[in-house]
Amino acid sequence: MIWMTWRQFRTQALVGVGALLLLAVYLVILGLQIRHSYDDLHAQCAGGGCAGVLSSLTDDYGFRVDLIGYLLIAVPGLIGIFWGAPLITRELEAGTHRVVWNQSVTRGRWLAVKLGVLGLASMAVAGLYSLLLTWAASRVDLVAANRFSPLVFDARNIAPVGYAAFAFVLGTTLGLFVRRTVPAMALTLVVFAVLQVVVPDMIRTNYAEPVRANVPVTADIVRSMTKIGRYGDIGGLTVPGGPWVVSTSALLDSSGKEVGHTTWYQNCAKQSLDDMPVCLAKGHIHVQVTEQPADRYWKFQWIETALFTALAAALAALCFWRIRGRLT
Amino acid sequence: MTPVLEARNLGRRYGGRQALTDCNLSIPQGRVIGLVGPNGAGKSTLLNLACGLITPSTGTIEVLGSRPAANPAHLAKVGFVAQDTPVYAELSVADHLKMGAKLNPAWDARLAQRRIEQIGLDPRQKAGRLSGGRRAQLALTLAAAKRPELLIFDEPAAALDPLARRGFLENLMEFVTDLAAGAILSSHALDDVERVCDYLIVLAESRVQLAGDVRDLLANHRRLTGSREALSKLPSGLDIIRADQTGHEGTVIVRTDGRRLDEGPWTAENLELDELVLAYMTRASAVGSVPAATAQEAHR
Repeated sequence: MIWMTWRQFRTQALVGVGALLLLAVYLVILGLQIRHSYDDLHAQCAGGGCAGVLSSLTDDYGFRVDLIGYLLIAVPGLIGIFWGAPLITRELEAGTHRVVWNQSVTRGRWLAVKLGVLGLASMAVAGLYSLLLTWAASRVDLVAANRFSPLVFDARNIAPVGYAAFAFVLGTTLGLFVRRTVPAMALTLVVFAVLQVVVPDMIRTNYAEPVRANVPVTADIVRSMTKIGRYGDIGGLTVPGGPWVVSTSALLDSSGKEVGHTTWYQNCAKQSLDDMPVCLAKGHIHVQVTEQPADRYWKFQWIETALFTALAAALAALCFWRIRGRLT
Repeated sequence: MTPVLEARNLGRRYGGRQALTDCNLSIPQGRVIGLVGPNGAGKSTLLNLACGLITPSTGTIEVLGSRPAANPAHLAKVGFVAQDTPVYAELSVADHLKMGAKLNPAWDARLAQRRIEQIGLDPRQKAGRLSGGRRAQLALTLAAAKRPELLIFDEPAAALDPLARRGFLENLMEFVTDLAAGAILSSHALDDVERVCDYLIVLAESRVQLAGDVRDLLANHRRLTGSREALSKLPSGLDIIRADQTGHEGTVIVRTDGRRLDEGPWTAENLELDELVLAYMTRASAVGSVPAATAQEAHR
């Protein structure tokens, strides 16, 4: 059965391995370049004030790293579409399920081997890709301190392995129920894409109770914000240490009142972009945030991976139930 | 001895359509069984049930004494050649044989090799490039070389030209003899079946119309010809399969059920198998067409 699985999967496997090899070469080169630049920058700022100097690393490499990250987020989807969905529909459409299911191997065993071999291959491809990218981008990630941002979280460490397992089984399951290759592929894409939006946006924050914290507003923090409103509302706050900021209050004074309507704030707000952060920082203001602390990163990675792996297992169970019961 | 195939109240629905209804069969071993009926009569449904590709909606079916496709050992006992003889288009002939060897513990590599050589198949050729006849031969070899106790063929010759069909059926019978296996063979064309089968099942309108050893069936039916008055004197309770009137003359086809009908004011003749089968199919379509039409109306 393993021979048969390999024989049918050979071409797709070679395509996958080929693509992975190309990426590996690129990522190793990129990773070495980034390391080299990082060490250079570190040497420049040996005297202090490294934050500003190192931020040029994200300017130089951020775009490339992001792009490879997007691709990694797409890889499980591609696996689901091109490995998962056709796995059974191809047999159903060619009628060859009637050949292979009448050999001396039960349908359950046939499915188990197919899901096992291709599932592990999917996880290996995504895992290797993630390993390479995590290594290559590690210095950039360190400087950017945004490990929790969806695009980085989804494309580093072990989470992609869970996505790959899930997407592959999702494709297979949809194929088994829809029974036609192209609609199954399209559905796989839609379901996977929806989940990749819904999970970071609505589900992931609930893995643990967020913590409330007061963050003193320094000039650096003000500079990192993407939005400073006319009446003290803010957006895009990046907190040192890299926790995941779930929500933020407006700018508050030391007694916890909003400062947005005070004349002091309005005066600061009128100043130039260079002076304003310093002006605001002098006011001893802070923001109240709810956050997932940075040290929860690995906990979240594990939960995310476990969640998607569990979904994959549930779908696989559904496949076994379906394939034994009514079909054709 | 356990029957080759035993069905009790077997039925199968596809959505709203009843593909097989109330099928009761008990087929003894050592027969070559022909399953005939018009297209859509439920032949494929019955055979797919027999090899476990689908499960019954109602009733039970047992093949060689156990539920079809119950376990690897049972799968090994039944060889199935599906309708249109599917093969893996992208795999070569040799790959198919390798698949057979890997997936069947009782695989007879020598038998398979010998057959492939006899047919003249190039082992390196992709199965998708084979002609219909050769593809059917490959599918047959694959099913036979696992050395099953029962071979099931679903319309294996349907897509073949007459010459290929003849060659294929000859091959098929050679396999059956070589393996000392039983065989079930379905066809919408009676002459395919007539040539090789000694047990016949007629399926029409999703029901079994007739089943039995060909010899018994022929012995058990008569064509009676005579005047209308003469035929009205037929014993009551006699199963009349078909009645035709032309002027004063009438012809009826009856099941004798052991009665002696050769003596009477009519001429009694033996039937040919094709006439008998046709009579049953005609009766089934006359009975079956009414509810079928209503069902279709209701569907709209």
